[in-house]
Amino acid sequence: MSHLFEHNGADGKGYSQPEPIISTDNLQIPSSLTRKNLPRWPRISEPEMVRHYTWLSTRNFGIDTGFYPLGSCTMKHNPRINEVIAQLPGIADIHPLQPDHQIQGTLAIFHEMQEMLGICAGMDAVTLQPVAGAQGEFTAIRCIQEYFRSRGELQRTKVIVPDSAHGTNPASAAMAGFEIVEIPSQEDGRIDLSALRAVVGDDTAAMMITNPSTLGVFEPEIAEAAAIVHAAGGQMYYDGANFNAILGLTSPGLMGFDAVHYNLHKTFSQPHGGGGPGSGPIGVKSHLAEYLPGPIVKRRPILSEDRLTAVNQEWWYHWQQPANSIGKVQQWHGNSGAVVRSWAFYRRYGKDLKTMSEHAVLNANYLRHKIMEEAEKSGVSHLFNDGAPADVVKHEFTLSFAAMKEEKGIGAMDIAKGLLDKGYMAPTVYFPLIVPECMMIEPTETESKEVLDEFAEKFVEVLHEDAEVLHNAPVTTNVRRVDEVYAARNLTLAYPFDE
Amino acid sequence: MVDQLPNLGREKEMLVAMGMSSMDDLFADIPTAVRMKGDLPLRNPQSEEEIIADARRILGANVALGDRVNFLGAGLNRNYVPASVFQLITRGEFLTSYTPYQPEVSQGMLQAMWEFQTLISELVGLEVANLSVYDGSTAAAEAITCAVRIHNRKAEQKDTIYISELVPPSRQSVIYNYTQGGGIQIKTLKHNSDGTLDLESLAEAAGSCGVYVEQPNPLGILDGGLTRVKEIIGEGTAFIVGVAPTSLGMIEAPGNYGADIVVGEGQALGSPITYGGPLYGIFACTKAYLRQMPGRIVGRSIDVDGKEAFCLTLSTREQHIRRHRATSNICTNETLIALMGAMHMSLLGPEGLEKLARRNMAACHLAKQKLSEIPTIAVPHLNNSHYNEFVVELPGNASDCIAYLDTQGLIGGFDLSAWYPRRGNWLLVSFNDQTKATEIELLAAHLAVWSASLTQGVSA
Repeated sequence: MSHLFEHNGADGKGYSQPEPIISTDNLQIPSSLTRKNLPRWPRISEPEMVRHYTWLSTRNFGIDTGFYPLGSCTMKHNPRINEVIAQLPGIADIHPLQPDHQIQGTLAIFHEMQEMLGICAGMDAVTLQPVAGAQGEFTAIRCIQEYFRSRGELQRTKVIVPDSAHGTNPASAAMAGFEIVEIPSQEDGRIDLSALRAVVGDDTAAMMITNPSTLGVFEPEIAEAAAIVHAAGGQMYYDGANFNAILGLTSPGLMGFDAVHYNLHKTFSQPHGGGGPGSGPIGVKSHLAEYLPGPIVKRRPILSEDRLTAVNQEWWYHWQQPANSIGKVQQWHGNSGAVVRSWAFYRRYGKDLKTMSEHAVLNANYLRHKIMEEAEKSGVSHLFNDGAPADVVKHEFTLSFAAMKEEKGIGAMDIAKGLLDKGYMAPTVYFPLIVPECMMIEPTETESKEVLDEFAEKFVEVLHEDAEVLHNAPVTTNVRRVDEVYAARNLTLAYPFDE
Repeated sequence: MVDQLPNLGREKEMLVAMGMSSMDDLFADIPTAVRMKGDLPLRNPQSEEEIIADARRILGANVALGDRVNFLGAGLNRNYVPASVFQLITRGEFLTSYTPYQPEVSQGMLQAMWEFQTLISELVGLEVANLSVYDGSTAAAEAITCAVRIHNRKAEQKDTIYISELVPPSRQSVIYNYTQGGGIQIKTLKHNSDGTLDLESLAEAAGSCGVYVEQPNPLGILDGGLTRVKEIIGEGTAFIVGVAPTSLGMIEAPGNYGADIVVGEGQALGSPITYGGPLYGIFACTKAYLRQMPGRIVGRSIDVDGKEAFCLTLSTREQHIRRHRATSNICTNETLIALMGAMHMSLLGPEGLEKLARRNMAACHLAKQKLSEIPTIAVPHLNNSHYNEFVVELPGNASDCIAYLDTQGLIGGFDLSAWYPRRGNWLLVSFNDQTKATEIELLAAHLAVWSASLTQGVSA
């Protein structure tokens, strides 16, 4: 164990800086504002600092380390060229207040991304400003809110979410001021149209739903659901968390949605970075376009005076504010660095984004099949069920370990910890909430058949373990099971200098 | 032909294993009515070599700040960030990990973020910090909703927050979007003609849920009066301060003059500007606000062997547990950029931070001296202290001046009429640790020429 704050060398240890360009003795800072005590930061040299963070990195598991089948998170490989591109001065070293003629390159990339995302989702207009999926949800719900305000439909105060929804859906709608109406799913996890019919009305603003559902199953009745909500005068919102399953195969537009968010950090390989940054653009149908946060990028044919600073010989790109924009959700133009990385990812696939989705679905179905097969072969298939019985799943699937919990006292979390000992990141556990002892597995398209075969074998090996072993797992990791209750009861949220 | 798919060409084998014959079988559950017909109308796939060539060509059409003499800041700063920061965050274990929900295999990021919380807490002088929100603007917005949750029950002015009238419209717009759903009223606080907060009218804010001001303020002014805000507004009203973090190497930590919540744009510590994102928002508060705080927090704990270990804590505030009753909808945040911040802060150390602040102050101070010597322009808040930036009042439109400076190879600053429409003649010029004395002289010379040509034009 090594603590950053135990490095406390001589004053000024660290990296050296040039002297100020003039003397700072007579700056006349108000005495009430003069800092009395400097922060108790470490005093650490570069060699020590590099070693500290490298050591920390060895105590962390990423996609680069091993298989990361974290359901709902789309942990695919992050191509390294994207990182190189994001460090080019043409994106890393530009300022959001530079005039259009100095940033034609960035605007061209933004425009290409707006167009591409619109095409993939069947939407008419796109903004890249929201910086995360949850912020995208919130932004789209704000646009829908302003749309109804402009129509005088102020009574539309309710947003419908299925009980299987991501937690961000109700949280985002509540932040915009909506009341949440939760509807139960059918036993197989699919949307219950009669439950939906029972709650829609002239107070319905929107329904928020993801398809494939959080159980990884396609909702065949999605168009009917959209028709029900639209007939009541409401809007359909598509949570794009599971978009990786459907590119080029279907689209939210075809399903009847009015608005959608994209997770560039899931579908388009922006690295997750231990929790962020992400990027959560939204797309909308034309009737919502005037409310988008602004500005968004437009283009016009090039004029003779543009030539010197243009990025190509055809188009001039410029920012434009939508007519009744909700304003800003981030102060500048969103996570542009993530947009550029995702642009590089898109260029790699182009129209073959469809192949990407096909392989994501192929891998999920194959892994599901292999796990079932291995489990049956070795006589443990009775210990778990499909979270949602279906012939095929999409990019992910859920398993319920309720039977195993009942019979052996081993829950989904115990299995997750057992998988850590096999050298894997654990799948998502206890989500969606509607599946008891749920484990949610998403392999993504960038895992080879060999990885999937081996994982299926090891997974079933874990199911054979004794309860005692799994309750005790993991034993091979840097630390063993961490006491979360202790952390909450003995709150130590910063280094205790006085301890 | 795409090249990132290990199972390309092995589809048949995998399908057969599942008793299927074609890829279409995998999508049999999608009704025909909603299926996409034909190929996506998009370009052909490219190889890595073609992509990097296109990226260099397209992004090469931009003017990078480093290509020019630059005085554009407006809250973002082109500080030097040490090379080791960029090298270390390419470690795949950091870069390609998800939120540390499995603490046993995520101790590295958890500890790094716990250390980040400590660095921020020490920097701003408050007990707790979270591990980042999106940026300075959403940090301010989330601080406001947090303050309302804490104080609304007892507040005389229910659902009411006061913010400085100088807060830029783009930041105010974010605040509006985040607060309108909760029915929160945003009222504005007046300023004196010297750009400092009008402490007399501040008395109106007593009894409201909170006050949000910035130090330095959006005009770059360091306002000594802010140290008296808490005594004026009282215990029942949250004092929220937005900071420029590098300034805190010389300027008192707001936690030491009564701030309950400190927020700010973290970018200058650790991150390039990157066209305004990704950045990271600083969020710190006193313990009294902890349970209403947005975002993720790391706590120190022990494992079953009693060994020190870290994990996410107080998660019951968050959307994945509390759903529509969560303190915020934030899930994905800016962890990797915060990690860059932690690395930069570590290398600076206390004295390095102070020196960085001095370098920023020195550049700003020298520029103020030089520009105030030009007879045809004015520095309206000359007698105040400034950090990073200050206002220059021109004899003509700031937009014209910027266009002129552009022709001379300078990115001249920010036209403040975009924020304050009545201030068409105000140019916000920005300086930092990288600014050279010769660059300031160049700016002064061009401003003198431009403004003289204008004033002569008028008199003739």
